[in-house]
Amino acid sequence: MKTFVTHTAEETEALAQRLAQKLCGGEVIAYFGGLGMGKTTFTRGLARGLGWDGEVSSPTFALVHEYRSRPPLYHFDMYRVTSFDDLYSTGFFDYLETGGILAIEWSENIESALPEGCVRVSFRRLGDEEREITVEGIEL
Amino acid sequence: MKILGIDTSSVSASTAVVEDGKVLAESFINVKLTHSETMMPMLEAMLKDARLSLAEIDAFAVTNGPGSFTGLRIGIAAVKGLAFAQDKPCFGVSTMEALAYNLAGVSGVVVPAMDARCQQVYTAAFCAGPDGLVRLEEDCAISLEELGGKLEQFVPRGPVFFVGDGGELCYNKFHNRGGVFLPPPHLRYARAACVCMAAQKLSPEPAASLVPRYLRLPQAERELLQKQKSKGEDR
Repeated sequence: MKTFVTHTAEETEALAQRLAQKLCGGEVIAYFGGLGMGKTTFTRGLARGLGWDGEVSSPTFALVHEYRSRPPLYHFDMYRVTSFDDLYSTGFFDYLETGGILAIEWSENIESALPEGCVRVSFRRLGDEEREITVEGIEL
Repeated sequence: MKILGIDTSSVSASTAVVEDGKVLAESFINVKLTHSETMMPMLEAMLKDARLSLAEIDAFAVTNGPGSFTGLRIGIAAVKGLAFAQDKPCFGVSTMEALAYNLAGVSGVVVPAMDARCQQVYTAAFCAGPDGLVRLEEDCAISLEELGGKLEQFVPRGPVFFVGDGGELCYNKFHNRGGVFLPPPHLRYARAACVCMAAQKLSPEPAASLVPRYLRLPQAERELLQKQKSKGEDR
């Protein structure tokens, strides 16, 4: 477990890019922390680090966005997922089999269904721009 | 009668054409590619290689569940489209029965199992013998623990063979009790030829009535989450 403090969105992206360099496919990145914490910014950094330069936005309404990076990145928002049936019908379990990387906003909502060995990224607000970001489950 | 079969119910994808019990063509891939992108080109290539055209297909068969949420929808949507366009009937085949067909000729109990995650499986049971398969258990979604209880009834009937992508999981969990066996990988996955074989015994239905048969998992009743406490505070 390692804790970082970022002072700008750019620094949050840069931290995520560092994490991206450690990923080889099949990993699950579970985000914890509320609204406006920089989870989408962090995911943009992951996508950039994996070679995707297209749009990255919060999949609140679509449930999942697919970015054609290498390996592909699947960006979930579990905010509205409240039951096991909901989770099954997002295709979550199918995405786990694809060899792509899953980045999951609102992992709190699916805590008991997260696979063992997932990478946990927790966000805490220190100031307007300042964030404390804790990364567990992988060496950074 | 020529039946074209498709299976995309789990991690592998497969297509086949069977005519009166003879497998004319079959394709199978298991490389983690997306079924929505790979299945149609695979089907097209298979038909071309076998000099078959869609127009000569008499009926379409597909695994209609249980299985992967997205996978079942891909297979069923594909078959609906093909059958509707050709105005031909369809067969919805239980994924469990298709899996069991891999071992239809052996003597023993065939237990298909698909990994439904979180220590749960989709399963069923069939008695295999010289006359083919006789169903012992309906398709169900149960915990591995519950499957362990059911095995007590199966083992006295003869050797128990696990098939399906959860076969290895079950074998590893239960092999210590004896009487259970894991067939080699090429006999464990859903094959479209098996889908066609199983379809031969079914009554056809129109494309419009074909629907996925999802089974409710035991964990569906349980709360997923920790969310209640965190949600009040944010958003």
